[in-house]
Amino acid sequence: MTTAQRLVITAWSAVSPYGIGRKSFVDGVVTGAPTVTELDQERWQGPSGRGCLVPGFEIREVLGAKGTRKMDRVTALVVSTVGQLLADGGIGTGEDTALVLGSTMGSAQSIMDFTKDVLVRELPYLVDPAKMPNSVMNCAAGACAIWHGLKGPNTTLAGGQAAGLMALDYARRLLIHDRAAKVLVGAAEEYSAERAWLDRHSWPAETPDRVLGEGCAVLLVETADRALPASGRAPLAEVLATESRVYLEGDPSKVLVACVRSVLARAGVEADEVWAAVPSSVGDRGRDEREVVRSLFGSEVVDRVPTGDVLGDTGAASAALRIAAVLSVAEHSPEAAGKVALVTSADRYGTVACSLLRLA
Amino acid sequence: MAQRVVLTGLGVVSSIGFGPEEFAAGLRAGRSGARPISVFDTTGFEYANGCEVVGFDPAEWLRVTDPADLGRASQFSVAAARMAVRDAGLDERQLADKRGLVSVGTTDGEAVDLEALLETSLNRGSAAMDGQVARRAPATMLSLAIARELGLSNVSAYTIATACSAGNYALGDGFDAVRSGEVDFALCGGADAMCRKTFAGFYRLGTIAPDCCRPFDADRQGILTGEGAGLLVLESLDSARARGARIYAEVLGYGLNCDAYHQVAPNQESIERCMRLALADAGVKPHEVDLISAHGTGTQANDVTETRAIRGLYGDRPPRTISVKSMLGHTMGAASALGAIACALAITHGFIPPTINHRSSDPECEIDCVPNVSVEADLRVVQNNGLAFGGNNASVILGKYSEKEFAS
Repeated sequence: MTTAQRLVITAWSAVSPYGIGRKSFVDGVVTGAPTVTELDQERWQGPSGRGCLVPGFEIREVLGAKGTRKMDRVTALVVSTVGQLLADGGIGTGEDTALVLGSTMGSAQSIMDFTKDVLVRELPYLVDPAKMPNSVMNCAAGACAIWHGLKGPNTTLAGGQAAGLMALDYARRLLIHDRAAKVLVGAAEEYSAERAWLDRHSWPAETPDRVLGEGCAVLLVETADRALPASGRAPLAEVLATESRVYLEGDPSKVLVACVRSVLARAGVEADEVWAAVPSSVGDRGRDEREVVRSLFGSEVVDRVPTGDVLGDTGAASAALRIAAVLSVAEHSPEAAGKVALVTSADRYGTVACSLLRLA
Repeated sequence: MAQRVVLTGLGVVSSIGFGPEEFAAGLRAGRSGARPISVFDTTGFEYANGCEVVGFDPAEWLRVTDPADLGRASQFSVAAARMAVRDAGLDERQLADKRGLVSVGTTDGEAVDLEALLETSLNRGSAAMDGQVARRAPATMLSLAIARELGLSNVSAYTIATACSAGNYALGDGFDAVRSGEVDFALCGGADAMCRKTFAGFYRLGTIAPDCCRPFDADRQGILTGEGAGLLVLESLDSARARGARIYAEVLGYGLNCDAYHQVAPNQESIERCMRLALADAGVKPHEVDLISAHGTGTQANDVTETRAIRGLYGDRPPRTISVKSMLGHTMGAASALGAIACALAITHGFIPPTINHRSSDPECEIDCVPNVSVEADLRVVQNNGLAFGGNNASVILGKYSEKEFAS
């Protein structure tokens, strides 16, 4: 074990309202086209008629009929994203490959559907046993492991919008303690009527222009000394430092600033070296977070990666999708090489997190 | 330079007692937490015993948070955390100045609240859901509630949702974080509240025992669902020594892996690999292990598969292998945390908790499960297993603390 090991991101993919796969994500970020659509009210009986959904994401069409009969949407998002990543890079899996997945609660829809049978059937145990795993939060990670042969550590972290950053920090510990050679780090959130109702009742005062989105982003993270020699995978970015904290009062601003200063200090990076800073930006809370980050780094830095709220509120997937957005912009910006990017997240429940990357 | 990591505080909310003293006494006496379930309506089930936590008053443990802002699992989690910190002889205000990790494992999070919301929705429409209940439902609350109640801002607060091995996942991550010196302390464990959906699911699978849980017994009929929380304080040996703290046990290592085989059925080869990883991490040879606290759910599949995996690794004379689920039921995300606490107490007090309700050993489970009555034993190295849906396995290795570092 050595704490001095450098962590690098060597591949990534995403399934999002921009579409399925990495290329559609990069194109979406570059064009910044809106993704919000009117929802089919028959199918999505939530409180709002609008949402940012992955276009054409019909599970059996995307993943085939085999093994998908009982699969729920969030599981399919993860299986599909990881599949894209592995296929794009021709990346092998097995005992040395871990998966760390951030999630709010797995599939709220699956939990509610399974529980509904307990409540409405003539006998409370007449549930569908094959759907029981879907009602447990680690379903997506476990199913993804089966689908793609991931036999290393397999961890589901329940968080809010910051879940992707927490997953990245957890993955760092797995790697420096040699518990895996490479880690698929990501976060996912599905759109569903049940999630939308929970959200509506949890945050009734949030701005009406906040629409829910969905998606999944997954990064391949490994140690620098292993990545290149082992596979020839060139780093896309180095993960300089990641940290999360808890804000105890209603306003996360002070803790957010402390968290940002802490990762800068740990990475030995000055504030004026930060080339792009990507806060949450969605809804009232996101706008507050963006103002705090803007006050630290200025508008040019905050506007560099144009995610805004174009994907909607993607819940637990939010921060992971924003890392993907940073990598997308870097791909089209030759001047990004060697520059530092910061991704922040202050979730509604009490977590503040940020991660500092150096782009390759 | 890696630091040695020790356990200095234990917090317990369980069906057989609160706090480490009561819990240790219960384990030694082989107390059963089984009783008819009262926390949810059991109409329609032919039998419904479970290991409930009774006599728990959240107001006793909460100073800052309104109990109504927390679900039952979070209440258990906070109570056990406060107990563990107190048991460690730590001042909460002093902790606030240190960098820490709070990590709580869970299977169902606040599924009880989700069921209540669903009930409202079915009866009165989704527009009638209660906002306070909706806000406390996300599982992230299980760890954030601890940070908030204890006034800890400079911590990472994780809720690890790897189902029934989640307590070991949390403990293992805390071990790594303390070992490398990136945090000054870790407050880790697991919590779950009994919920009807999980009971119904296991019932439907035919894995709920009608009366009690009999791990490794020829006539075992399955699990009893349980609930509670176990939280442990981890710190470096230097830190514990500097403040003259009592040391229950040393964390020697852990291992984790995934079957990538089946969402529900356990996999012998993969469980064996997980235990091997744990022993290698701890630098322990199989013959040095004195006791295994098994996942030991009391289902047909688990007990046969787990004991075969144990024999696969340990050979024909495996260490004594017990299941505290015989007493506590299956406390889901809390299970391996309470198992680890049982191991730490067994090491400290020199006894092996029994596997109760035992009548006749299953010849397919070739281990000594220490039937019904605890025995005195000087334990040097103990292994605690956690297995889960999704093929999420984790084993933790604890050792008796001695000044000289453990070496094979």
